[in-house]
Amino acid sequence: MSALVPIACALPLLAAPLVAGAGHWLPRRGADVAGILAAAATAVLAAIVLARSFGGLSAYWFGGWRPRDGVALGITFAVDPLGAGIALLAAVLVTVALVYSWRYFDEVGTLFHVLVLLFLGGAIGFSYSGDLFNIFVFLELMSVAAFALTAFRIGEEGPIEGAFNFAVTNTLGAVLILFGIGLLYGRTGALNLAQIGRALEGGNRDGLVVVAFALLAAGFLVKAGAAPFHFWLSDAYAVAPAPVCVLFAGVMTEFGLFGLTRVFWMVFALPLDDAFEFVRWTLVGVGIVTAIVGAVMSFLQRHVKRMLAFSSIAYTGIFLIGVGMLTPDGLAAAGLLVLAHGLSKGALFLGTGVMLERMHSVDELVLRGRGRRFWLSGITWLTAAVALASPPFVGGWQGHEGLAHASSSVLGRHWTSAFVTAVTIVSTGAILRAGARVFLGWGDRQDPLLSPEPEEESEREPKRPALLLALPAAALAAAALALGAIGTLTPHVLRAADQFTDTRAYSATVLEGRAPEATQRGRPPTSTESVVWSVVATGGAAALAALALWRRRLPAVLRERAGRLLVPPLDGLRGLHSGHVGDYVAWLTFGTAVLGGLFAIGLRQ
Amino acid sequence: MLAVWLLLVGLFGIVTSKNLIHLALCVTVAQSGTYVLLLAIGYREHGTAPIFSDVPRSRRAVDPVVQALTLTDVVVGVTVAALLLALAVKAHEHTGTLDPAELRELRG
Repeated sequence: MSALVPIACALPLLAAPLVAGAGHWLPRRGADVAGILAAAATAVLAAIVLARSFGGLSAYWFGGWRPRDGVALGITFAVDPLGAGIALLAAVLVTVALVYSWRYFDEVGTLFHVLVLLFLGGAIGFSYSGDLFNIFVFLELMSVAAFALTAFRIGEEGPIEGAFNFAVTNTLGAVLILFGIGLLYGRTGALNLAQIGRALEGGNRDGLVVVAFALLAAGFLVKAGAAPFHFWLSDAYAVAPAPVCVLFAGVMTEFGLFGLTRVFWMVFALPLDDAFEFVRWTLVGVGIVTAIVGAVMSFLQRHVKRMLAFSSIAYTGIFLIGVGMLTPDGLAAAGLLVLAHGLSKGALFLGTGVMLERMHSVDELVLRGRGRRFWLSGITWLTAAVALASPPFVGGWQGHEGLAHASSSVLGRHWTSAFVTAVTIVSTGAILRAGARVFLGWGDRQDPLLSPEPEEESEREPKRPALLLALPAAALAAAALALGAIGTLTPHVLRAADQFTDTRAYSATVLEGRAPEATQRGRPPTSTESVVWSVVATGGAAALAALALWRRRLPAVLRERAGRLLVPPLDGLRGLHSGHVGDYVAWLTFGTAVLGGLFAIGLRQ
Repeated sequence: MLAVWLLLVGLFGIVTSKNLIHLALCVTVAQSGTYVLLLAIGYREHGTAPIFSDVPRSRRAVDPVVQALTLTDVVVGVTVAALLLALAVKAHEHTGTLDPAELRELRG
């Protein structure tokens, strides 16, 4: 059993240099086939690991250096269902992205495959690691591959600038994380998560622990793209190639939240035992700000990829609300939402790839009506948008329901549902609006509300069959749509979240090899209330899209009033996204200082 | 203290930087803050290098774990710096400027 775990991580890492080295001798399609095979094999391994992880946490000690008397000298992979699940999602998305990029990057040989496989290796290692420093190393491996992938179209100005901003802000995030790790190691003399948690449990909660937590939280939030650390994200997504965006939106930012959650539950949950309420409101507050900024900004974009990027930021905010509840139920709801969002956003980003390659632009206004011929892509776009909006029993519905259910005991059910519904309406409304304009030609040709955007033209001639481009996206969208109807999903994710948040059982398994008790959880009953909310979300999104498309038909007085009320704050918000890396780092410093200050005040003993 | 100082100086440099190469070097300055912190954590009074092949086992040695961490981090840092400098070169090729304020493809 346990040997499978390191193989799943090592396979893509080994395949990457092989593909790079053999690329010169292989026939033209050889690298494509090898890359897809490696990613698919990794996905199968990740699925097996996931299936087995439900039987209990499994720890694999490299080189057989098992812990003695609760002291771990060796390095470990400790796999739990939640980590295994996100690893599987990463492997599946990488496979789809590679299938989509069949012959996409002919001119650069095998480089794309190598970088994507390295990204996958980092992602899987990150989700399996039970060791703080290895988490950092795998995160960096993944990030560096991501920087290079962002700058893939090096011949244009946008990608260079986007990748530069991305690399600088994320490296600083990593520096914050490493500072935190260094402080924890100085205090506990351990890098194993379970052992650090145990060492901190007895001691009191002093300044060092609080500072370490603030640094780690800020660092992971940078990676997750939470406000005010989110500026890099919209730049990077807007310029990266479409298949790369699939990986970014589907798993990379989610890994930031995953890291935060893992470190919180394994290390800080016990020492911060009596301060849950404060940490909860801080994280949920960050989530709320992030969701608002992301949703509003996404509605203002005409550059379709940038719009999807801001919509991902909005969803990061919603995930953060779920994770920040600091309960197993909230975590499970966030996990369900991540799954649905990853699949449907992947389909949408592949849709923008089709736009760029077939219609030579990703500008919503330029493309108006040009997509009429591409009916399959249009249907895929609509399907994915509906899956995001999550009407009852479709797409992320179980996640939305779980979020409402989880919030009833800690945050207050009504306002959480209302807030999440509002964010969904705005961000999905923007996606529907763009889809209706491009694929149906509805709405006006000009819209002064949207940001002015530079043109992004594809130099490539369309030489690939349209079906090959459209099919991976359609498959992803269909999978996202079907998710909502799988009844056994919620109980499984709830069980995984229970296991994830049980700090004591985790350290007992890792350090003493004791098997944890398996828990069983039923699915909470479906309430009429959440059905109503989700219908409101879907209907509201459609209504908002229609409003944006046919605004001119409203009475002029109404339009003018609304304009005077809305335009100044919107322009202010837009002005903050300056594209200047110095501004971004200033925001990063400011956010870290605020977070540190809040924790210093709130977590004092 | 030195570690925090390096981090803050690096951050200040990035925020005010007018040159992409200068900016990339400021990132490495901020990163060296972590090296100093890690090495300081592992320091023991009168310790020698943690190589046990030719000194008696009883000798006091500095912590080898943090040295390994620092080494790994140096590798990561060099990778990132190389990538950033390559991007800066490319940016200069395309636009003829290294000032981040003039690279404004991505606004709004």
